[in-house]
Amino acid sequence: MTKGHISKIRYLALAGAAAAALCFGAPTAQAGKADDTLNIAWDVEVPNANMYFDTSRNGVIIAHHVWDALVWRDPATGDFKPALATAWNVVNDKTIELEIRQGVKFHNGDPMTADDVVYTYNYLAQPDNGILNRNFSNWIAKAEKVGDNKVRITAKDTTPLMMLYITELGIYPEKYYKEVGPDGMGLKPVGTGPYKITAVEPGKRLEFEAFADYYDSPKGKPSIKKIVQRTIPEMNTQVVELASGRLDWIWRVPQDQAERLEKSGRVQIINADTFRVGYLALNAAGGPEDSPLRKQKVRQAINHAIDVEGIVKNLVRGSSQVIHSACYPEQFGCTDDVKKYPYDPAKAKALLAEAGYPNGFNTTLYAYRDRPQNEAMLSNLAAVGIKADLRYGQYAATRDALRKGEVPIASLTWGSNSVPDVDAILPIFFGGLPDDLAKDTEVQGWLKDAASTLDQDKRKALYKQALQKIAEQAYWVPTFTYTTNYAISNTLDFKPTADEIPRFWTAKWK
Amino acid sequence: MAAITIPAAEDIVGPTPGQRLRKRIIGHRGVMIGAVILAIIVLMALLAPLLAPHDPYTQNLGNRIVPPVWTDGGSWVHPLGTDGLGRDYLSRLMYGAQISLFIGFATALISGVIGTVMGVAAGYFGGRVDLVVTFLITCRLSMPVILVSLAVVALVGSSLTVVVMVLGVLLWDRYAVVMRSATMQVRSLDYVAAASAAGCSTWRILVSEILPNVMNPLIVVATLEVAHAVLLEAALSFLGLGVQPPLPSWGLMISEGKDYLLFEAWLITIPGICLFALLLAINLLGDGVRDVTAPENRS
Amino acid sequence: MLIYTLKRLVVALLVALTISLISFGLLYLSGDPATTIAGESANQAAIEAIREQYGFNRPLYEQYFAWVGRALQGDFGTSFYFKVPVTDLIFERLPVTLGLGLSAIAFAIVLSIPLGVLAARYPNSIVDRLALTISVMGQAMPSFWFALLLIMVFSFMYPLLPSSGSETWVHFIMPTVVLGYYATPAIMRLTRTGMLEVLGADYIRTARAKGLRPRVVLFKHALRNAIIPVVSLSAVQLGFMLGGSIVVETIFALHGTGYLAWESIRRYDLPTVQAILLVFSLIYIVLTFLADLLNAWLDPRIRVG
Repeated sequence: MTKGHISKIRYLALAGAAAAALCFGAPTAQAGKADDTLNIAWDVEVPNANMYFDTSRNGVIIAHHVWDALVWRDPATGDFKPALATAWNVVNDKTIELEIRQGVKFHNGDPMTADDVVYTYNYLAQPDNGILNRNFSNWIAKAEKVGDNKVRITAKDTTPLMMLYITELGIYPEKYYKEVGPDGMGLKPVGTGPYKITAVEPGKRLEFEAFADYYDSPKGKPSIKKIVQRTIPEMNTQVVELASGRLDWIWRVPQDQAERLEKSGRVQIINADTFRVGYLALNAAGGPEDSPLRKQKVRQAINHAIDVEGIVKNLVRGSSQVIHSACYPEQFGCTDDVKKYPYDPAKAKALLAEAGYPNGFNTTLYAYRDRPQNEAMLSNLAAVGIKADLRYGQYAATRDALRKGEVPIASLTWGSNSVPDVDAILPIFFGGLPDDLAKDTEVQGWLKDAASTLDQDKRKALYKQALQKIAEQAYWVPTFTYTTNYAISNTLDFKPTADEIPRFWTAKWK
Repeated sequence: MAAITIPAAEDIVGPTPGQRLRKRIIGHRGVMIGAVILAIIVLMALLAPLLAPHDPYTQNLGNRIVPPVWTDGGSWVHPLGTDGLGRDYLSRLMYGAQISLFIGFATALISGVIGTVMGVAAGYFGGRVDLVVTFLITCRLSMPVILVSLAVVALVGSSLTVVVMVLGVLLWDRYAVVMRSATMQVRSLDYVAAASAAGCSTWRILVSEILPNVMNPLIVVATLEVAHAVLLEAALSFLGLGVQPPLPSWGLMISEGKDYLLFEAWLITIPGICLFALLLAINLLGDGVRDVTAPENRS
Repeated sequence: MLIYTLKRLVVALLVALTISLISFGLLYLSGDPATTIAGESANQAAIEAIREQYGFNRPLYEQYFAWVGRALQGDFGTSFYFKVPVTDLIFERLPVTLGLGLSAIAFAIVLSIPLGVLAARYPNSIVDRLALTISVMGQAMPSFWFALLLIMVFSFMYPLLPSSGSETWVHFIMPTVVLGYYATPAIMRLTRTGMLEVLGADYIRTARAKGLRPRVVLFKHALRNAIIPVVSLSAVQLGFMLGGSIVVETIFALHGTGYLAWESIRRYDLPTVQAILLVFSLIYIVLTFLADLLNAWLDPRIRVG
C-alpha cells in the first residue's frame, strides 16, 4: 500500500462536499405580512397553470385569479354581474349576445378585444383541442363577432346553465396563445384577472403578483401584493410551517388537528361548508344476478344501518350537515322532501330478513379517502350482519371498477365542480352516463326533460320527482356535506366561500 | 465478548459443542435482551385474545382519543387510551403485534425459500447456475425496494396478502448472497466430497450435508430480514399502501396516529416505541446469534 | 484493468436492460391509465381520445420496444400529469435528491468512521458501547417516525429548524440527519470490523514496536487499509438512499425525485414512475461500478486476481 491512497480518498471527499454545497445555494429571506407576501400551501402538485388543462381543484383556483370571464357570479348572492362583458342579451334558448368591455388589458399589456372572446370560445368548441376541462365548455357550438364590440355565442342545445358556464370560462389572449400554445400558457400564463403569475415551477411553486392594470371589475382590486404557493404534501409539516410563521394560509386541516390548533391560539381556524357531498353508491342494477344490492329492501336496510348522524356529530363535526337526498342542499333543484332513513339497526335487520338475508351477507366497500369515516361505516354495516371488506384505492381505479360494474358498494364524494345547480350532479350519476349504477329509465327521462327547458319551475319539479324516486329506491346512501378547515395566520383577514374557491383578491392583512 | 468462564470440572470432561453454545448464548447480553423483548412481544401477540381488555375493532365514536392512564383524563378502563374511532389502544396494540409479526415472519419465510434455493444452487453447482444467480442478485440489488413495492402495491391494490407477497418476492437478495458463499465453503469440505464419491444423489447431498451446515448464517440472515420486512411494511402503511384497516398493524397505527402528532403525540409514540422495541430485539438477536455461532467475527 | 472494466460494463448493461423490462412491466399491472390522465371531471369521450392518443390500445410488446427505443435517446415520454417531458422533470429534481443523498452519506461517514475506529481501538469500552448503541438504534428506528419526531421537537416545540422546502442548507439539516442515520449502522460496523482485523495484522504490530505514536498507527497505517471496503459500501449505501429519499422527501416537502416518484405512483403517472425506477437503478449500477473500479484502483490485488 502506498501513501497516495489516503489522498485519493481525501480528494474524492472534498469533491463530494463541493458538489453538495453547490446544490444548496444561498439562504433567502422570510416572508409574510412584513413584505406583503401571502404564503400559502397546497398538498397536491400543480401540473401547469393553463386553466383548461388542469381538472384539479387547484386549477380552478388558479383560473379564478388569473383569468376573468365575460360574466361574474357573486358568490354571496348568486347574481350575475358584468365582468369582461358589460351587458348581455339572451336572444333565444340557444343564443346569447354580449357587449365586450373596452380598455381591458391582458397581463402582457395587449388589449383584450371581441376577437379574443370569439377566439377563446371557438377554441373551446373544437372537439380536438385536447383540453381536459370540458364540463363548462361542452355546450358551445360557435362564437362570432356581430359588431365591433359585440359577440354572439350559440349553444348546441338548450342549455339551462349557460350563464353559469360563461362565468367559468376565462378569456385567453388570441395572439399570445397562438404564439406559445398550451404548454407555453402553462408555464407563462397570461390573462386579465386580478393576479398575474410571475413564476411557475411545475409541481413546486407558483408566484402571483397583483395586476396593477386590473380593470374596474366587480371582483374588486386585490389588496395583497404577492402570493407564493408551495406544495407541501404532509399535513403535519404544513401545520408546523404555519405555526412557525413560514406560511399564512393552509386548508383541509383535519378537524381534530384544527380544534387543537385553534386552542393553541397560534393561528385562526375557519370552518366552512363546501359543495362536496359524501355518499355510498350502491350497485342497484349491475353485478351478479343474485347480488343482494339489486333488492330495494337491502338498499333501504343499508340506509337504516349507517349512523350518519353519529359520524357527523363525532367524527366529521364542524359545520357538516346530514343529507338525505342526492345533492348539496344549497344547489338549485335540491330538496330535502324525500323519504328519510333514520339510523335504526333493528329495522335494517328486519328489512334484510324480509329480503331473504336474515344473517346478512359479505360484500366489498370501495373507498378512496376519509379512512376514519369509512371505517365507522364498515362497523355500522357489520352491526347488522353485512360484512364488508374495505378496498382502499386511488380515485381513478375505484371509478374505473365502478364503471365496469364490479363494485358492490363505493364510498364516494362529489363536489359538483362548485356549480350551484343539481344539473352538476344528478345527470352524471342518474342520467344514463357511465357512472349511473341505478339505470332507472324513468329517472333518466325526467333528468333529460329538466336539462332541455329554461323554465326554472318545471326544472325544479322534475328534479324533485327524480330525487324522491332515488330516495324511495335507495339507490344511494347520501351521507353528509363536507366542510373545510382553513387555518390562517392571525394577521390575515380571509373569508371562505362554500364553492371551495379561495378568493385571495379579497384577502387583506389586519 | 462477555467473558466465558468455564468451571474447572467441566474443563476436565470438556463441554460438548452444544453446551458451549448454550453458555455463549446465556453469556451474551445482546441475545438475552433481544430474546426477552421478543418473547414479550410474541407472548403479547399470541395471548392477545386473552389479555386484551377490549375488542380491538369495536368503535365508540362518543369516546374518541381518550388519553392514556398516566395523563389527565386517562383511566384504567383504557390504559393506553383510545384512538380516533374510540377503539381501545392497548387492545389494538396487542392484536397489532400479531399482524406485524405475521408480516415479518411470512415475508422472511417466502424470501428465505427463494433466496436459499438460489444461493445454495449457485454455491453448489457453480458455473452457469452461479452466473445466472449472481446476475439476478445484481439486478435485484439495483432496484430500490421501497419504490418497486410502492408501485406494485399501488397498482395491484393493497392488502395483507399483497404486502407479504410483494415483500417476500423482493427481499431474497441477502439470503442468496450469504447462502451462496456459505455453500461454496461447505462444498469444498472433505465430507461433502466423500458423500459425492460414495454415490449419494445431489438432492441427498444438498439436503443432508449442505443445508445443515449453512443453517447458522441462514438463521442470522432470517432474523435480520424479519426486521427488514416489519420496517418496510411500516413504511408502506405510513404512505397509505400497507395493510388495510381495520387490521391493526403497528405501521398502520403509526400512520393513523400521524394526524395527532402535534397535539396527542402518544398516539404515534406508543406504536412507534413498540415497533422500535421489536426491531431492536430482532436485530440484537440476529447480531447476537452471529457473534455466538461465529465468535471470530467479533473480537 | 481494462478487461476487468469491460467485463463489469457488460454486466451493468445487461442489468440495466433487465430493469427496463421490469419497470415497463409495471404498465401491464396497471390496466388502463386513460381514466387517470383524464381527471375527475372528464367524460367518457375525453377518456377514449386519450387512450387513442397515448397508444394504450396497442400490444404491450410494441409499446415496450417503442419505449426502450426512445429511452435510449434519453426520451422517456411525456408525463401524464405535468404534460412535459419526463426527462426534464427528472433532471430538474435530481439535484435535490443527489444533494440530500450526498450530504446524508457525508453525515453518516463523519459520524461512523471516527466512532468505528475508536470502537475498534478500544473494544468493550464506553466508546464501543456507544457505537454499538448508535448502530443498533439506527437499525431499529423507522425513518418516517424519526422524521416526524424531529419535526415535532425542532420545528414545533422549539421552532429552530424549517420543516419544509429546499431553499437553503438549513432546510437540509433534518432530512440529512434522518437519511444519514439510516446508513450509519452499516458503515460503522464495517469500519469497526475492518479496523479490528487490520489492528491484529503483523505490520501494525511492527509499527507499534517501532515506537510510532498510537494516533499515527491508528489513522495512518490502519485506517488506510480498513477503509477500502468502507468506500465501496458507502457508494452502495448512497444508492440505497435514493429509495429512502421517498419517505424523507415527502415528509420534509423536498421536491426531489423520490417525492416525485411517490406522487407519480399515486397519480398513476406511469411514464414518470418507469423512468425514475430506471434512473434510480442506473445510478445504483453506476455507483457500484465506480466502487468496484475504485476498489481495484486502491487495491491492486483485486484487478490482478
